[in-house]
Amino acid sequence: MSPGTSHLDSLLPALSEAYGPPGRETGIRAAIKRAVRGLGAAREDALGNVHLHIPGKGARLLLTAHMDAPGVIVTRVDSSGLARLSILGPMSAADWIGAVVSLNGRGGGGSRAEGGGRSPREGGDAPRGVVGWDRPKDMKDSREVEPEALYLDTGLGAKQAPKRIAVGTVGAILDRAEKLGDLWCGGNLDNRAGCAVLVAALRGARGLRNDLHVVFSAQSDLGARGAATSAFGIDPDVAVVLDVAFVGESRGGDIALGKGPCLGLKEEGFLPHPAALDLAKRAAKGARVPHQWLIRESGGSDARAVRATRSGVPTALVAIPARKTGGPRVLVNANDLEQTVKLVRQIVTTPYTGEKGSR
Amino acid sequence: MASNGDRSSTDWLRYITSLPGVPGHEEATARELMKAFRTVADRVERDRMGSVYAWIEGTGRAPRPRALLAAHMDKIGFLVRAIEPGGFLRLTEVGGFDSRTLPGKEVSVHSRPPMAAVFGTRPPHLQKHGEAERTIPLEDLYLDTGRPEAEVRRRVPIGTMVTLRQPPVELLGDRLAAPGMDDRAGVVVMIRTLDLLRSKRPAWDVVAVATVEEEFGVVCLGARTAAENLTPDLGIAIDVSHGDMLGAREGDTVPLGSGPALSIGGNIHPLILEDLKRSARTLSMPFRVEPCPTGSGTDAMDIQIASSGVPTAVIGIPCRYMHTGVETVEPRDVDRCAHLLAHYLSELSLEWRAVEVLK
Amino acid sequence: MSRNGAPVFQERLLETISNAPGVSGGEEAVRAILAEYARDKVDSLEVDPMGSLVARIEPAPRRARSARGTGARGNGAARKGPHVMLCAHMDEVGLMVTAVEKEGRLRFRRVGGIDPRILPGQVFRIGIEGTHAVVGALPPHLVPRTERDKVTAADDLYLDVGARSQEEAEERVPVGSYAVFDTTYEAWGTTRKGKAFDDRVGCAVLASLIQRRPPVPVTAVWTVQEEVGLRGAAAAARRVQPDLAIVLEGTASGESPGAPPDEQYPYMGRGPALTVQDRSLMVHARLLGAIEDTAKRHRVLTQWKRPGVGGTDAGRIAISGSGVPSAVVSVVCRYIHAPAAYLDVRDAQRAVTLIWHTLETLRKEWP
Repeated sequence: MSPGTSHLDSLLPALSEAYGPPGRETGIRAAIKRAVRGLGAAREDALGNVHLHIPGKGARLLLTAHMDAPGVIVTRVDSSGLARLSILGPMSAADWIGAVVSLNGRGGGGSRAEGGGRSPREGGDAPRGVVGWDRPKDMKDSREVEPEALYLDTGLGAKQAPKRIAVGTVGAILDRAEKLGDLWCGGNLDNRAGCAVLVAALRGARGLRNDLHVVFSAQSDLGARGAATSAFGIDPDVAVVLDVAFVGESRGGDIALGKGPCLGLKEEGFLPHPAALDLAKRAAKGARVPHQWLIRESGGSDARAVRATRSGVPTALVAIPARKTGGPRVLVNANDLEQTVKLVRQIVTTPYTGEKGSR
Repeated sequence: MASNGDRSSTDWLRYITSLPGVPGHEEATARELMKAFRTVADRVERDRMGSVYAWIEGTGRAPRPRALLAAHMDKIGFLVRAIEPGGFLRLTEVGGFDSRTLPGKEVSVHSRPPMAAVFGTRPPHLQKHGEAERTIPLEDLYLDTGRPEAEVRRRVPIGTMVTLRQPPVELLGDRLAAPGMDDRAGVVVMIRTLDLLRSKRPAWDVVAVATVEEEFGVVCLGARTAAENLTPDLGIAIDVSHGDMLGAREGDTVPLGSGPALSIGGNIHPLILEDLKRSARTLSMPFRVEPCPTGSGTDAMDIQIASSGVPTAVIGIPCRYMHTGVETVEPRDVDRCAHLLAHYLSELSLEWRAVEVLK
Repeated sequence: MSRNGAPVFQERLLETISNAPGVSGGEEAVRAILAEYARDKVDSLEVDPMGSLVARIEPAPRRARSARGTGARGNGAARKGPHVMLCAHMDEVGLMVTAVEKEGRLRFRRVGGIDPRILPGQVFRIGIEGTHAVVGALPPHLVPRTERDKVTAADDLYLDVGARSQEEAEERVPVGSYAVFDTTYEAWGTTRKGKAFDDRVGCAVLASLIQRRPPVPVTAVWTVQEEVGLRGAAAAARRVQPDLAIVLEGTASGESPGAPPDEQYPYMGRGPALTVQDRSLMVHARLLGAIEDTAKRHRVLTQWKRPGVGGTDAGRIAISGSGVPSAVVSVVCRYIHAPAAYLDVRDAQRAVTLIWHTLETLRKEWP
């Protein structure tokens, strides 16, 4: 078994269950800082991104994966003690049904400097609940679920719930990824799979041919926010964004699990820069990694924000194919993860030949 | 205006609109444009994101203020997203098409070497009842190259660029119809403006930028990154404006032949607009004021908010049938825009700035 | 309600700027009033390339206490504190005249979000002179029954200035002119009525805060074009490069007769609303905590803004450059983006008091 795989076996479950909804990435930030210990000094910036600089000669390469995963925010607690929700991120209301959610304070509880409390798995005592919905009386086959119909039932009851759960409390899916045959299954795999791959790739990388900046970005699901500010601060020559892409989002010549990582050709607001795409293609060839082409009409990654930073950053997108299940958990293929680790390792050891920015 | 000038604009339009170059795939076009700009500019270069800069050095003492002109070199088109049994191609668009304008049209598939193709249609004899009353969305359209599947698969990689194949057509009154007037007509205006400025040099430095990726995504990528790179003191976008057409609302169009359309609205700095109007009156040139209540929808949108803000204006070339293969302009309007711009720029005083210090 | 030494809310100014015209892209009149007000109170004042008004004010000089305390806290009095950008937008929603027809009728487009259903029968003021115009509507007698429950699209409506010809109309109201609701400010009890409380109340709160030197270095920015895409703030934030930003807004109340009580927040009259999250940003947790703590300590009544709704300049400021911790404090108003909005003037004072004391908190405790 290659070193990458064994790393993933422990990394992915740990990173997948860390608390980290968009804008309140407290748990995952701590988990990532632990995971990259020894690789370099990890800094945190104004938006909560984790930035790791591994110095080297050559072009300034930014490798980034978003660490936030979809969340919910409490808009009110109704008379039955059910917390009503607004959705943070791209997960549809229907997919939230049945999710077990861990809540944290708005900004209080636990470590104030971190801006949040700790989930039960981190030793905190934040309430948990399950997401239900107001089923309409006459249910046809279609599951057209409005966000307003969702609620979080914490079992605290009508009297306790309003006291313990304040408006603005943010929740995340509480789930630990597990292996099912060839597949990994869990909530939060978008994009904890990308984070795990990135960490695993760094741990095994030898012979860097670029000056490497690694960013685990925050608030991607709120609109690529952390990636924009971190790219601004770093001002790289080239960037590769690592994310997850769902089967069915790509049109015709659809992507599939088990066929290797996807190289992005088009997504919402993003077209790859030829020189950056060339880096990714050369790396795929050099590492002999099978890959697919991603073209999606809706849905996007941090790539669209990174490339528009400052005087522009030639950017490419590497996406791990994933499949939705119609509920909170999603699936990725274990071999795809391993191939993506190989690809990322090859990228950081391949010199970038495009134009460098003037500094 | 001498008839020589009209001829020359028409020739430029014929040539420049014929170049391919869809968003993200402007490389070859950029090289040709650099050659074209070299016949009129002091210095020509390309930036990292692919935009072309053509400089006219000003006569003022250094450090001179800098005026940025922008016209986008990308024109709308498609990318091949899938190849089907039979060798038929499925497409994704880059830039906004009305799919109703596509059935039956000829296209160029930019493989190496390029091949011709047509959007396939079913003749009325074979259509089902009512079929002709339904529009066909792009995802259901396909291209037929007339070649065997094996050849197509060998020569056409996924992601290949596709453009409308329609040679320029001369209509009555010198009017010219071709795909890509949006915004190659603007590029021609810039070429003609620089030509005029060589003999009547401005005090300011003028850099004409043929931008990339205006037609794709929410951000005009080339304009934004060029403005961040160049930090201009003023920016003017030259793009096409909707010409008079049956069925369009009053206030939404500008008649062909009525001269430059000068935009008014939040995206436009009022002082630049006043000076443009003054220049037009001095030249006894007709012009129209084009209302832009929520923005101009041009490169100027992104130039204005680049860095710490840039005063901007927009000059529009009246153009009928935008985003089809028969975009129609009057070369006379193109000439007028160039003369207006050249006059405005050569009259710009070295002291003009948009930041007003009150205390 | 005690101000605890915070400045007094300048209601007169609110009245003046509420009545003044300032549609997104045409904010000159409002800017002129604010510039006049601010000129002798600030250290520098300029208009940026997009038209936003930017004022810098150094903090009040503090005498250092005698060195009795130990450690960092002993130097609390001499700390300058973070550079804070306080921001409110000058623009309001309105209309732009896009064409003058042969008969002298005006075609228009909306600037910013306006429900088309409030337009028929509405009076507008056009341009600096305030030329009156009405949005015509057919009398009920002449409308077929089948049409009565259809909403007329804004594109099918027109403005009537009473002109008899195209020339007459064009001379008074050229293409590109802006139109605002014809509303005049009024007061009764603690209720205030006026147009454009979103965000003239924020502008007035901001102006009130700079009456005297604040506890920390402040750059006050009255931005343009918020209602058409948060545009002025994007450029202004790069110019100012603050350590922190607080945006002052006028936000929609949730009050609605017949709706369940728990769905009706925030309420007019129950204090400034604090944002946790909206469509444009997730408010910085620690900054929000500082504001919350200040409210508790100084007993300023506050409430929560409904998460997931709306967007403000803070969304742009937060992601400018390498990122700026940002928060939003809003005065709750009824009927924003409509001709006549309501607010409770006590909430405006509460907002001034809250922000003032928050600046003091930030001086002592940030970062």
